[in-house]
Amino acid sequence: MYSIIVVPPPTTEDETDRTQLRLAPGERLGFGRSAADNDLTIAHDGVSRRAGEITAQGAFWILSNLSREQTYVVENPEGAGEHIKVGPGRLDAPVPFEFSRIVLPAAGDLLPIEVWAPRHDYLSSEGGLDGATTAPAFSVDRTKRYFAVLAALCESRLRGEPHAPLPTVDQVVDRLRPNWPAASRTSVQWNIDYLAVKLRLKPGPETADTGPRLNGKKESLVSLALRFDLVREDDLVVLRGPLREPSSAAVSGRPAR
Amino acid sequence: MTEPYAVPVPKGYRVGAWEVREPIATGAFGSVYEGRRVAADGDRPDLPKTAALKFLPTGTGTPRQLTHLRELIEREVELYRRLKQPRLIRMYDTLVVDDPAGPALDGATVLVLERAEGSLSALVAAEPRPAAGPALLAQICEGLAQLHRAGWVHGDLKPANVLLMPDGSARLADFNMAAELEGTHAYTPAFSTPDYTPPELLWSEIGERGRRIRPSADVWAFGVLAHLVLTDSFPLPGATPTARRDAGAAYARGTDELRLSPELPDAWREIVRDCLARTHADRIPTGDLLRRVEAAAGTGRSPRLPRRLRPRHRLRRTKVLVTAVAVVAASVLGYGISDWADVGGSDGSGGESEKVTPATYGADELRTDKGIPAAYRRLIVDSAHDCVQPEVTPALIAALLKAESDFDPDLSDPAKDEYGIARWTPAVLRWWIRDDGVPAKETPSPPITPSESIPAVGRYLCFIEPRLRADLSGDRRVLLAAAYRTSFKKVNDAGGVPPKSSAYATRVAHFLKEYTPQDRDYTARVAQYLEEYTPPRKA
Repeated sequence: MYSIIVVPPPTTEDETDRTQLRLAPGERLGFGRSAADNDLTIAHDGVSRRAGEITAQGAFWILSNLSREQTYVVENPEGAGEHIKVGPGRLDAPVPFEFSRIVLPAAGDLLPIEVWAPRHDYLSSEGGLDGATTAPAFSVDRTKRYFAVLAALCESRLRGEPHAPLPTVDQVVDRLRPNWPAASRTSVQWNIDYLAVKLRLKPGPETADTGPRLNGKKESLVSLALRFDLVREDDLVVLRGPLREPSSAAVSGRPAR
Repeated sequence: MTEPYAVPVPKGYRVGAWEVREPIATGAFGSVYEGRRVAADGDRPDLPKTAALKFLPTGTGTPRQLTHLRELIEREVELYRRLKQPRLIRMYDTLVVDDPAGPALDGATVLVLERAEGSLSALVAAEPRPAAGPALLAQICEGLAQLHRAGWVHGDLKPANVLLMPDGSARLADFNMAAELEGTHAYTPAFSTPDYTPPELLWSEIGERGRRIRPSADVWAFGVLAHLVLTDSFPLPGATPTARRDAGAAYARGTDELRLSPELPDAWREIVRDCLARTHADRIPTGDLLRRVEAAAGTGRSPRLPRRLRPRHRLRRTKVLVTAVAVVAASVLGYGISDWADVGGSDGSGGESEKVTPATYGADELRTDKGIPAAYRRLIVDSAHDCVQPEVTPALIAALLKAESDFDPDLSDPAKDEYGIARWTPAVLRWWIRDDGVPAKETPSPPITPSESIPAVGRYLCFIEPRLRADLSGDRRVLLAAAYRTSFKKVNDAGGVPPKSSAYATRVAHFLKEYTPQDRDYTARVAQYLEEYTPPRKA
């Protein structure tokens, strides 16, 4: 029932599979240098002993800056420089982004803590906010990169080839590069992993034994997305237009008329 | 009602024998109009003069864009066809609009439903804490019990989906999210109504078949609904659905207590509390709930209903719909509709395909003409398929049930401590009752239902198979049944069927032969499997 995922700073250069800490609404995670006072220890001399707290608050989260003199910057990595500053001593500052990177200044280093809020809700085209309307369980933001990745994965099947093989990660990178010059294997892979979290994909039985298998994950994502109409043929425009265009397109998996 | 109608239909529009009158209501997926029966060819005098016509937009867009919508419609039609119960709205007919001149409606599916007077949501809006509340709750609960007993979960119980009849009684409707139970849970599409969704389904994992839900999800929704009807407020605090959802999450995690409205009468307080237990396992079973709700409402015990509902085969439907359905089934990704096996093929050509009903479920492995009750076919076939051992076949499980109890689900033999269709001893069943391989916390107590018994038989046989020695004499399947009756140790020690069980084994062998289809391909396939996949065993 978690709503927030915290990804601590990488501890070694080559570590690929970073830990994810999951917080349910109301749960609190303290971070800092001291192992005794915190749930998440950041072993760096430049970090305060009790540096801060992250609290999941429903579908979003709040940040307390417990340091005495450092300002933390919370960036939206997909927001073209969009960020907020949380000054020292500020408690419970709300953070509105779906993806965030808290940058801790630490004696010349900048340590990133990533926080994801995959449960953000978006207005469904039919329902409204009354809580009595049957609503889809998924809410996706059509302006985000993950949506473009999902659209690229679903493209061939949406264009009328129901049994077309799925594109490889490299093919997805090539497909997205015109609109997203920085696209890389790693970033596309990251978005696929994030989609699996976001769409609450049940891990397949095979993952238990052999570790996550990319093909199974892509296949499951595409079949789920098509089954619940998260991506439709007219959404494929995201593969053409510039990606980061804030518009009214942020709607959830809408019931068709 | 200011929201636009999902499917606008002009007044006076004709569909089949019906003329469209006033609009009644609209939902996210379809719109309902009053229909008046007008004389037509093939008129059916058995139909009432007025009905509710539910228009579902199956005609617009391309099939692949409407996958989930079609799936929702199929669920509803399927449930209406299979279940006819006093507390469920009835479906008289299904039609498909054939109107090439009107592309907005052409191809739309129309369900002809029993006409109701209004909905509980309208009643509660007009009259908070209605005087008839307790009696209505008893009837709603009765409807839930009828659904659950028949092996279905509603999946979207809320006031708008409870309809009130001209005589003031309540019936359940809107079965777009309903799903048939497979063992202990069912798969429903990933839609829900936030205020009535139990906390374990908030942000739950979703597999390719949809979301797993259990009857306890309906029990939670009933608790919310009862609280709303009796006190005009939601049981969880908060001014918005989001706040109530977060309150529900905090309650389920154990950080918050449940604080029910002080206006709730004492008799109902305990009922609502037991419906809103934190975890699904702690919620009250529907049967017990119904008894307590009826006591609290002061209504009499409902007349005893048939124990198991047999599926209806004489379906009234147009051939057009059959074809439409075949295309739908072929376009469904995943398994949303598990009944539609072999329909249409992957090219969606449809044609003359027949729907697989429970009566023919697994027909290539289990004969349909030998008196195996149709209601258990699915459980039997699926339980056998869950086991990787080729010896554990549907025919073996069916033969075992026949020999144990003659398919009597109510068998009770306290002298031997054996109960139910498979004559389980509760203390043994405890080890096999759960599908995740973990023993149940407590020994189950009788009555033991077929949906508990039969999958557990499959699991137990699957466990026994590798433990029987390779050099035993006789048909391995019969040996498995003998080991089920005694134990694998006794069968190993005896080097075959123990003498005391020989009569039983003979009966199993007889029914095994009788239930196995006389299809040479199949028999040969089983023989080949047995040959190829018999693992080397340690002596």
